[in-house]
Amino acid sequence: MSTETLKQFHRLPQSTYIDALRFLPPLSAFDRYVVIASFNSDTDETSIGIHALNPTDAPTLTLQSSFPTSSRISSLKVAQKSLQNPLIAASTFAGSLHILFPNPIDASFESEVSIPEKTLHIGPISCVDLQENGSACVSVGEDGRVNLISVSDSGLDYRRVFDSKGLVSYTAARWASPTEFATGGLGNSLQWWDQRRPGGPVSQFKGNWAEGASSGVVHSIDIHPSRKHTCLAGGSYGSVFAWDLRRQQQPIILSGIGTNDTASNICISSSDVWEVQYDTFMSSSNRATANISSDRVLPVMMCSEDGILAVVKQGEEPTEILAENCAINSFDIDPQNPSDVICSLEWESVAILTRA
Amino acid sequence: MPGLLTGSGDSSSLVPFSPELHTPAVYPLHHGLKPPITPRLSISWSSGNSLRVSVFRSPETTNTIEDEAEVGGKVVELKLSGEDVHSEVNDAVRWRRIVYGSVSPFAHLQNKKNAMAALSELQHSAPSQLEWSKYVLEYSKEINSLLGNRKSRPTSLIEDPKTVLKIDEEPSSLKAAWELLEIFYANKQSQSWIPEQLVDWLTDYDSLFSGQVPTVHLRLVEFQAQLINIQTVENEAAYWQAISSALSVGWLDIVVKLLRLHGSYQLNQLGSRETENGLVEAVAVLISKMPRMRVDLPDGKLGECCYNKSDFMKAWEKWRAQITKLDCSAYWLQCSHHQTKENLKNLLQIMLGNINTLTNATCHWVELYIAHFLYIRPFTSGLESMHVLAQKCIQLKPISTPHKLMSLIIGILGENTEVILAECSKSFGPWMIAHATELLTAGNIQAEILLKEERHNLGGISIEESHRLVYAQVLSSHALTWQIAPVYLISCMKHGVGLLEILLYKQPVYHSQVLLKNIEICRLYELDSVSANAMKIVGMHHWKHGRKGSGIFWLQQARDEVRLNRIAQKLFDFVGKSISDESFEQWEGLIELMGTESRTVGGLEFLHKYRDFKKSLQQVQDGVATDAARKAGESLISIMKNPSTPQRFWLPLLYDSLKLLTWQEGPLLNVSQCNLLLNKLQESTVAKLRPDFVEVGLPPHALSSVRAALATNLGRAILEE
Repeated sequence: MSTETLKQFHRLPQSTYIDALRFLPPLSAFDRYVVIASFNSDTDETSIGIHALNPTDAPTLTLQSSFPTSSRISSLKVAQKSLQNPLIAASTFAGSLHILFPNPIDASFESEVSIPEKTLHIGPISCVDLQENGSACVSVGEDGRVNLISVSDSGLDYRRVFDSKGLVSYTAARWASPTEFATGGLGNSLQWWDQRRPGGPVSQFKGNWAEGASSGVVHSIDIHPSRKHTCLAGGSYGSVFAWDLRRQQQPIILSGIGTNDTASNICISSSDVWEVQYDTFMSSSNRATANISSDRVLPVMMCSEDGILAVVKQGEEPTEILAENCAINSFDIDPQNPSDVICSLEWESVAILTRA
Repeated sequence: MPGLLTGSGDSSSLVPFSPELHTPAVYPLHHGLKPPITPRLSISWSSGNSLRVSVFRSPETTNTIEDEAEVGGKVVELKLSGEDVHSEVNDAVRWRRIVYGSVSPFAHLQNKKNAMAALSELQHSAPSQLEWSKYVLEYSKEINSLLGNRKSRPTSLIEDPKTVLKIDEEPSSLKAAWELLEIFYANKQSQSWIPEQLVDWLTDYDSLFSGQVPTVHLRLVEFQAQLINIQTVENEAAYWQAISSALSVGWLDIVVKLLRLHGSYQLNQLGSRETENGLVEAVAVLISKMPRMRVDLPDGKLGECCYNKSDFMKAWEKWRAQITKLDCSAYWLQCSHHQTKENLKNLLQIMLGNINTLTNATCHWVELYIAHFLYIRPFTSGLESMHVLAQKCIQLKPISTPHKLMSLIIGILGENTEVILAECSKSFGPWMIAHATELLTAGNIQAEILLKEERHNLGGISIEESHRLVYAQVLSSHALTWQIAPVYLISCMKHGVGLLEILLYKQPVYHSQVLLKNIEICRLYELDSVSANAMKIVGMHHWKHGRKGSGIFWLQQARDEVRLNRIAQKLFDFVGKSISDESFEQWEGLIELMGTESRTVGGLEFLHKYRDFKKSLQQVQDGVATDAARKAGESLISIMKNPSTPQRFWLPLLYDSLKLLTWQEGPLLNVSQCNLLLNKLQESTVAKLRPDFVEVGLPPHALSSVRAALATNLGRAILEE
């Protein structure tokens, strides 16, 4: 395993537990903001805050504005309509959904619309995802419901796409196109949904997992806008795999225990992979050799319970970026500046790094 | 057990335990229930410091209650916050930062210890003390850096001459205590420089004593505040007092800086006070040339370093000779400023080690003790002689209630590990003691025996283990630190694993994140049965809350066949009606989840088989291929034979496969198979009479048509054979 050289690395201790964080699309040309969902264990208060990140040699996070929520945040996503203000979607463990609109001038929360608990789901919302333009949001839960929430100027409107009545639980969701999305759940299963064909998932993935891998849980899904046929997932036992819709039931294992073929197994972590994202960063060294053919999975960044932040590539040795003493719960790659990554650490801190 | 430590109460107790009981506090409980309430409360511990109180309503009144939601009662969670033992680090956030930071050095050192023990066992030799002390020092430095840094503020280019003392952030006494332990126990290489290390230590931490006793630091702070208003410093007694005090504890840079404030340095006075100025400067130079028995000095500190004893001896003699010479100099007679003359001579007496002058200049015994090292006995070494010296200083400067750091110093010098432990535990809490034992035992066989010996009065565990257990309990009581406790528990040989299991069982695993954390910890420490139990709890929780898929998934993970079988019966009731019609499709996702046959599915195996059977039947209906039909027939037999197939599904299954039983091309089942099915049919008709019979909802002629089909098939099969 190789390790990535970092141009900058800073650990910023916080006074609260960080449940999730995201880079906010730039509100203006010079500002950089990070949305952080935090939980104060001493006061039991939870909030979503916008922090200004000043990109000096010693970066700091300065809280600009904060929005209190009634329960801890289970999932946090941001999106931006073209030429419009970004919006933030956050779901809570109590089951409510909040859509927040930050003000571009002072990074305060301009307005908020929400759907209360016990409406969308019974119990917690496991995951939400916003469409690229922010016009719709999908929510999934352990109760087996899949909801579509349309976000418009007049407010929120929701529609139940599917209800498995608890027979199947969903733990992750991700949009693929304006009409399609993927969900993931127990047993390392993935489902593909198409709004044009309602009534249930149009395709189900339940690979020929070896004993053990089939007992995993999908924690995170990503789909690259240019490769909509490939669904990337990360879950238990360090597994990161891709599901190519064209090759139905055979997973492409990027890391972790997978099929019975143990010889070619790459295992960077053996704990839960909390988040996966396609890594859009091209370092100067790999830009030269970047000939990623269309049938290979694009590079993937993942973070894990045992404190690993790494980039995995199909058929190559993974590159370790961080190895922390505690879990890395979530991370985000700056879409404007993909060399920059921010991650939340279990021990109440945020790490900011710049890749060389 | 940790509880026994304080519970013993007799003379064998190690930590002073005050049996005085606090008056019980009464808090009103806001449960929001309308009376009448039963006089019965159920109280149980929730996670961490939360207490769960269940308040019940009187059962006889419940039927008259209009509000349905209030019928049973209510559960209230109370968060308890006791007084903070870590009086210094009362800021919970800062405290947790120390907790987080100390995990990895501790775990690292434990790993090293185990590796070294394994290696020495392999080589049949004692582990190298030298190597071990290197690791301990590394550990100590890492922990020390967590407790705060001595931040030197950026010095401005134009230094204010009137700022003699830089007042930084208040240092923590926790760090002071840790550094003391480091000086005496961890830093084996610089044992011979302990006196100088103590001088530095006092420089950093003298201010900590200020709260309880007057200190040199406090004196300087007060003087600095006055300084702005003073015109001619040399006329002020406070000025000279500050100088002599600072000199006595070796803060040479401050002394020199203060001396240079002397009025004789002012340009307009130089002419008239030339001799006086010469004397002040001569003293200042002598002070800045003081030989120090140490490797190096930090920036800005004064003195001449001597690495070895003989060099130091020479320099020391020479320096003292110079002082004596200056003391006897004739220039003093020419010095007209009385106060300057007297006080400069006083400074020379301090440097010459005049015990009375030193006693007057210092404020408390630790300062006097340091002054001894500097000016009277620079070669003091060995804890015994250091202890004797400390006793002497205490006699000269007695103190009514010793500061906690003073008690710790006496404990260390007295070589009494039990006292050190007691002081650490009393003043600095469980964190300190759990981490400091590593320093105390490093290279000290006596302390090691004391700490690692299994004690009957501690329930068979060692003192070291008991302190770790106590610390682990502290960690366990907080929602954000409980996951750290396993690191400490696992280093406890006797009760660690047992308590770890209890800790894991206590976590509210029905929160999925807590469950996953639990499973991860179990995986790391190979506690398979614990994680299986957690999965069972979660499985049942999901099942009860209608999340059948998750319930079955986690019970499967736990390989809990018993529960899965019981669940299966319930599930079949649920499936019952839908089995024959198309709504069976909704079960597809669940069946997918259950996975292949190799997995533990208990009675649910039937669902899987049934789905497969249904699929093969589907194929038969689509075409007329005899092969497919034969296969379907085989799977019918296997599903009927399977003991997991519930009896109530026998008839519907047969009814579904009527087409197979009356296959045009010839009989698909042989005689014995036909007989088997007929027997099953008979059994299921008998079962109708039993009280627990469930009606499946088939047309009334189903039984007769199946019977007829089976008979036809049997007849044809007999003919064929």
